Amino acid sequence: MTRDELNAHRLVKEAQEAMLSGLSRRHFLKESAFGLGALAMGSLLGSCGGLFSKPQTQISYDPAHPLLPKSPPFVGKARSVIYLHMAGAPSQLELFDYKPELMKMDGQDCPPSLLAGKKFAFITGVPKMLGPQAQFAQHGQSGATISENLPHFATMADEVSFLKAVKTDQFNHAPAQLLVHTGSPRLGRPSIGSWVTYGLGTENQNLPGYVVLTSGGSFPDAGKSVWGSGFLPSVYQGVQCRSEGDPVLFIKDPDGMNRDLRKASIEAINKANEQQYQEYNDPEILSRIAQYEMAYRMQIAAPEVMNINDEPAYIHEMYGTQPGKACFANNVLLARKLVEKGVRYIQLFDWGWDAHGDNPTNSLNIGLKNKCRSIDKPITALLLDLKQRGLLEETLVVWGGEFGRTPMMENRNGVQNPFKGRDHHTEAFTIWMAGGGIKKGFTHGETDEIGYSAISGKVDAFDVQATILNQLGFNHEEFTYPFQGRPFRLTDVSGKVINEIIA
Amino acid sequence: MLELLGRFHPVLVHLPIGILLIACLFLLLSLSPKFETLKPAIGITLFLGMLGAVFSCITGYLLAQSGDYDGKLVGNHQWMGIATAVISLLLLLVHKYAKSNKISGITALALIVLISITGHLGGSLTHGSDYLSAPLKEGGSKNTAAIPPIPNIQEALIYEAAVQPLLKNRCYSCHGSEKQKGKLRLDAQEFILKGGEGGHTVVPGKADESELIKRLLLPISNEDHMAPKEKPQLTANEIELLKWWINNGAPFNKKVKELSQPENIKPILLALQKGTATTSENKLSLIPEKEVGAAEERALKTLKNAGIMVVPVAQNSNYLSANFINAVSLADTVMDKIKAIKKQLIWVKLDHPLANDATLKGLKDCKNISRLSLNNSKITDAGLANLKSLDQLQSLSLVGTKVTAKGVAQLSGLKKLQYIYLYQTQVQRTDWNSLKKTFPKVKIDSGNYQVPTLPKDTTEVKVVVKN
Repeated sequence: MTRDELNAHRLVKEAQEAMLSGLSRRHFLKESAFGLGALAMGSLLGSCGGLFSKPQTQISYDPAHPLLPKSPPFVGKARSVIYLHMAGAPSQLELFDYKPELMKMDGQDCPPSLLAGKKFAFITGVPKMLGPQAQFAQHGQSGATISENLPHFATMADEVSFLKAVKTDQFNHAPAQLLVHTGSPRLGRPSIGSWVTYGLGTENQNLPGYVVLTSGGSFPDAGKSVWGSGFLPSVYQGVQCRSEGDPVLFIKDPDGMNRDLRKASIEAINKANEQQYQEYNDPEILSRIAQYEMAYRMQIAAPEVMNINDEPAYIHEMYGTQPGKACFANNVLLARKLVEKGVRYIQLFDWGWDAHGDNPTNSLNIGLKNKCRSIDKPITALLLDLKQRGLLEETLVVWGGEFGRTPMMENRNGVQNPFKGRDHHTEAFTIWMAGGGIKKGFTHGETDEIGYSAISGKVDAFDVQATILNQLGFNHEEFTYPFQGRPFRLTDVSGKVINEIIA
Repeated sequence: MLELLGRFHPVLVHLPIGILLIACLFLLLSLSPKFETLKPAIGITLFLGMLGAVFSCITGYLLAQSGDYDGKLVGNHQWMGIATAVISLLLLLVHKYAKSNKISGITALALIVLISITGHLGGSLTHGSDYLSAPLKEGGSKNTAAIPPIPNIQEALIYEAAVQPLLKNRCYSCHGSEKQKGKLRLDAQEFILKGGEGGHTVVPGKADESELIKRLLLPISNEDHMAPKEKPQLTANEIELLKWWINNGAPFNKKVKELSQPENIKPILLALQKGTATTSENKLSLIPEKEVGAAEERALKTLKNAGIMVVPVAQNSNYLSANFINAVSLADTVMDKIKAIKKQLIWVKLDHPLANDATLKGLKDCKNISRLSLNNSKITDAGLANLKSLDQLQSLSLVGTKVTAKGVAQLSGLKKLQYIYLYQTQVQRTDWNSLKKTFPKVKIDSGNYQVPTLPKDTTEVKVVVKN
């Protein structure tokens, strides 16, 4: 740099500094009048409410009694929900979506039109088509097609509404499961059970409002986030219970600790917490006190409700339970008992439906058939048992997986799998719903002649969520929670209530 | 841009109406010495009102160019509007220069009349010409006008009996003789088949391709959704009916019986015949139609303290639902408190091991109860006698109680009863037939469903090893 240049540089810098020192608060206000004005107008308009923003459901949240029952915005037909999630995604083509045309293509190369621009979890190159690996028949007055894999459930054809054209945009288990239960394929959103208990509380103050039961030997791939409470108060997360041994770990008082001593200790803890609350005024402390009190009551109530052994033998026979083991049938029976006792949302996960065909347990002819046998009797018994107790009208039962399976046989890395299996498929799968004000014996939506994609009555996870909330008395578009400066809702910006299946 | 300006007309018109009226009022009042002080305000208000009138005329003219409105009505409104603007200017001049109280007074009166007529004509354009007179006519406003029952739906003409009344109720106000939004008229065969700006409104035989159905089915948030979201929406049944009509070729002269009738359409047709028609869905009534006053806060609080969860069935209703599952005691003192909410209480879950015949006495006066569950309680036939007065009862669940067929038969006078659940009761197998005769309309669920164990249920499919 020459001397002249340096001088010039210094001059410019000096001028800039002089200008900056001249800038005052007055300048700021003057220069930013428009921006500030806009900000002010925004907040003014915002407070006008109804005019510029959507109406929002008012939920009163009382941190000292977070689970007291609350009224929904409008009268709902359902009071509780039992959601049966078949984790791993059962094949709709072997259960409900019968495609004789696909049989004719069995063993042929998959036409390129079905592969162009598509992404699959494992399929690479050109896979072979795979015909239905089960016999189908029509059942009931409604004539719903149900395969031989579910002989008991077939007798329930006239009780349920099938959604045969459900779509998703996630082809991996964890994000797809998160989408189904939290409305987002990424972590961090509250699950639908949390939304429901946040909005409605629960009827039995001695039990949790949102109970989760798992079977099949493994957790769902998305982990415990599928029953997480996200940004909702933590008291609304699902309470995972065990179906064997103690329902909740350490629920029994240890030997030598009697009930009075337990009570005294909880009172002492609560007193300390109350002092803390006086000091900090954090509402979460009140929740904590309420939780201690509920835990104390639950010590009596939970073992009684959670114990399926006091059910008569014919009920065990009906559900096909295996007392002492952790299995789906036991969980389903437990779910009915919980609904009877006023629990709001019961979430079941059954793992092991991922029929790729890479080993016998994951194949359509062996593993899938065994999985079907393990759920067929329980789900049938659940519907009948709720019905005979007058509970089916007010209990919404939902059954489904996180996505569907391809009409093509899986060829992992281009090599055909040793057993008959199908890859993950996002374009179409089947979910059914029953009870809780849903039509009986109805089918909505259909897929093309090989079951590859939905051609009418397309719905997605958001639509199912919107429908569940609707049956409980909520408008999913108005049921929001303020977080990070904007109201969040379960269905985010999508979702349409599936009016076609509502009775 | 011009069209946008035109759309401000319905807002803008209120300015001259208000300002000119107040100016005329000031002018007339100031004739009396008591209100003389108003005089200086007259000039400026008249001037502002006149300006408003001129701008309204301009925007009104632009709006009329959009062609959504009936030509004749618009013409009248337009000329009256222009007359209003001219007269207001005249009044301003008279007031300023003529200084004659008599002339300005008469002109002011004329202006008031003109404003009223112009305003009324404008209102007729936006709300329909019978908007004002509708409440005087029988049947109230036209949006809720009930479709009269059709004596024999099968013999009736489909268009005339079902489709036209529906279109009239829901569509004519914007797509009729007075307004043709989107250049669409739906009030006669030729117009319906001609369609509007959006293309083929009705494609006979193809409901899915018909713009009418497509727009009805769009999400309500969509701009093209019909009816506009602030207007009354078509019910699912009404849409079903239109779809069915179009899929059958959208006939205008066929009788209902000449069309094929799938299962889903039959109940809708039946509803038309009964006159319960398309205005509301037919379903089990969840809550009484008549609203009730709110229950006392204090009563709710005492019940809550007794462990009885009483909450309104919905945020927009005062009717209450009660669950006794956490109740510590069901003594008479507790049940007496229920009487304070006897008018509001409609859903009751009393599935409590302590509930017995004495408990039910507390529910005797709660005549609005429509759902009652007494599962696994200690009640017997004697207790059921207390329920005889609950004539709104629709569903009664007695699962796991000691009631017998004789006890249940006491309730045969309950006309609204639709469901009784009698699983695990003392009602004998031999009693079912007589019970069914006592309750011909009621669905009685005896329960005891079995799911037989098939050999396959307990066996496992294994890998077949081929040699």
